Amino acid sequence: MTPAHPEGVTLDDYVDDALTATERAAVEAHLAECADCRELVADLRGVLAAVSTLEPVQPPRTSWTRIEQTIRRGSAERRTPRWPWLAAAAALILATFTGLKLAGVWQQRPASGLTALAPATDAQAVEAELLQAEQHYQNAISGLERIASAEKGSLDPQTASTLEKNLAVVDQAIGESRAALKSQPGSEPAQQSLLENFKTKIALLQDTVALINEMRKGNDASASRLVTGLKQKGT
Amino acid sequence: MTVNRPDGSAGDLVARCQAGDVDAFAELYQHHAGRIFALTSRMSGSPDAGEDLLQEVFLQAHRKIRGFKGDSTIGTWLYRLAINHCLDFVRSRQARMDKVTNSIDDDMTPPAAGRDTPIERIDLERAIRQLPAGCRAAFVLHDVEGYEHREIAEMLGIAEGTSKSQVFKARLKLRAVLA
Repeated sequence: MTPAHPEGVTLDDYVDDALTATERAAVEAHLAECADCRELVADLRGVLAAVSTLEPVQPPRTSWTRIEQTIRRGSAERRTPRWPWLAAAAALILATFTGLKLAGVWQQRPASGLTALAPATDAQAVEAELLQAEQHYQNAISGLERIASAEKGSLDPQTASTLEKNLAVVDQAIGESRAALKSQPGSEPAQQSLLENFKTKIALLQDTVALINEMRKGNDASASRLVTGLKQKGT
Repeated sequence: MTVNRPDGSAGDLVARCQAGDVDAFAELYQHHAGRIFALTSRMSGSPDAGEDLLQEVFLQAHRKIRGFKGDSTIGTWLYRLAINHCLDFVRSRQARMDKVTNSIDDDMTPPAAGRDTPIERIDLERAIRQLPAGCRAAFVLHDVEGYEHREIAEMLGIAEGTSKSQVFKARLKLRAVLA
């Protein structure tokens, strides 16, 4: 007869190699007899193995923009956009995210942190919300693409080529997310992935517009940093 | 205690940051934002809150960097700032959200995606975010960041045994997601 199971935290300590020799021997004696506990221990090790593959997560590219703006405001070096299209781009982004909020698609700080999508009770509602979000993103992307395309002559050929390569990578990721959604329409990770890829594309286009602006202003240091960021994005 | 002096390019970068060079600070951000954002978004359970915390960390770093003496590496210094911001967030939110998070305690449902798909890592990140706040903080600090239960107990103001049981609870929930 299998003796009483050890407590869960004891098995956890066993997995963490945090037991004394005596305790460890007792657990191992139990494991030799108990398939359920052996399975639990194997699964706990599997969780730890999966967690060990986690990597740093790159924040949205707009994060640095906000930090930089706050820093520069703080040092009284307020700058206004010299180019009307830059103001237009900023307005476009603002309108997009305002639209998403008004539409209830980009819910603010869900208490559970479950998902950026508003809670929907059925697949059709989720699909409708997703379509609405997609439309908002596509509007922003189209507007930014027009601006970037019109001003692309300001970029040197190598940077323009890097940019095109990066955009192709993002477009491919969007295509893969769409394919995943097609095969699993109800998959929240796939929905999340598609929206994240849209955000990535918008951030990339925003960087492009910022880069064009810095190059035209002759601000080599900021332009160089943005080019470095674009290159890293492509690796 | 080991004292790590920043040397070479890292030391130069810190010196430029301390002199108010925003481009140098941007470079510092580029080097460390990924690790800090991973920490803040996992600890807070939300990419949005994680982004806010990330910005707070770097804005505070910018304000305080002149006081950085090099008693640790700049990465360690930033990481400590980030941990402190995360702990403040967890403590303040824990008080407000305990009731809510307890009610969703058993709401985690394993996603449809299988293993070895591009979605798997997203699933794991999402599953960590979905953990109840209490066990998520203990889990991230122990299993992801490598703190001991004794240290976590002190950081979160809980008993060491509570830290152990929270981590075990989190692992069980992730086990269900990864199964």
